[in-house]
Amino acid sequence: MKIYTGTGDRGKTSLFSGERISKADARIDAYGDLDELNSLLGALASHLSAHEMLVAELQQIQCDLFLAGSWLATRPDAPSMGSLREISPQRIEFLEKAIDRFEKDLPVLKAFILPGGHITAAWAHVVRTVCRRCERKVVLFINEFMKEKTAAPYQRLLIYLNRLSDYLFALARKCNQLHGVSDKPWRP
Amino acid sequence: MKNHVSSYTVDLLKRRWLSDKSFEIALSAPPRFEFEPGQRILLRLGEHERDYSIVSSPRESDLTLCIRMVAGGKLSVLLSVADIGTSLSINGPHGYFTYKPSRRPAVFVATGTGIAPFCSMARSGITGFTLLHGVGLPDDLYYASLFQQNAKKYVPCLTEAKELPNFTFKGKVTEYIDQHLAPGAYDFYLCGRNEMIRDVTLLIDERFPESLVYTEQFY
Repeated sequence: MKIYTGTGDRGKTSLFSGERISKADARIDAYGDLDELNSLLGALASHLSAHEMLVAELQQIQCDLFLAGSWLATRPDAPSMGSLREISPQRIEFLEKAIDRFEKDLPVLKAFILPGGHITAAWAHVVRTVCRRCERKVVLFINEFMKEKTAAPYQRLLIYLNRLSDYLFALARKCNQLHGVSDKPWRP
Repeated sequence: MKNHVSSYTVDLLKRRWLSDKSFEIALSAPPRFEFEPGQRILLRLGEHERDYSIVSSPRESDLTLCIRMVAGGKLSVLLSVADIGTSLSINGPHGYFTYKPSRRPAVFVATGTGIAPFCSMARSGITGFTLLHGVGLPDDLYYASLFQQNAKKYVPCLTEAKELPNFTFKGKVTEYIDQHLAPGAYDFYLCGRNEMIRDVTLLIDERFPESLVYTEQFY
């Protein structure tokens, strides 16, 4: 199967909802960051191959992000919206439960910590910052739809990305703990 | 959208030759198998598998596929000689290439057996569309009578014919669009080989930029 189509050779790309738009559009910028986020999650999972449960969790998140990508590639008023599966509230609960599970065994934070430590924790922090950037890009482009009050389908995606950043912060600390590394507090 | 994907075992019920290289096969539709016109299934026989768009409408009792023998193709050759009654495996339905009603006129563009999803749509009662079907010779216009009844405008685009039957265009689908499609915003549905999809999409960007484009690519 060929992966190249040639339809994007002149700087435009197709949305799932059929529109042809510039690759410089804010929407494409947002789902480009989503793609980067998904790829970095894959890199993080590769470093965690000894921890099967965490790898499975990260792969579930990667699947969620594919779903998120299809929402970003569809205008909210398009008929194609009807064929998309929503990010369910259960997927947000899944992240929240994982955060609670990590934090149960972690020391209470009393200061900012330096991003880093074990290589897996360092990666988790990098992924977290890309997740935050992705969230900012999504906010930027959905502002247009907020005015039209058609942004409802995107609201849950914003909640998901916000919670995912928190998950990645907690995961970074968990990674340090799993590898016997202490989080380094910031000392001004 | 019907997207409850499952695997089923089905029987080969009939084979009908459409030309010297193309034929239809009818499969027993599994109970509770639901699809929308334009969707496809993954068909498996032995170790060979391939995606095929469904030609029949969801209302019909059989699942019909249109198969073209391709050079080096293994599954198409096996299907051309398989005994009636042979068990096959299918998985599906797959895909999002379904008709989305809108105020813009619909222009369906197919090359070769890329006509399959549009057959299912027409057989399901969708009308009022323009259909451009690019083939080499008139022998490959297997479903002409269906589209003459259902399309608002049906234009077979023949690239190799020396004598042109009535209502046909000599040339590629891109040439027809370039020369004859009035300026405006359309909903384009493109199904066929990569080269056609690329050329038509770039033409749409240039000439019909307010249009929507839905594609289903054949490999």
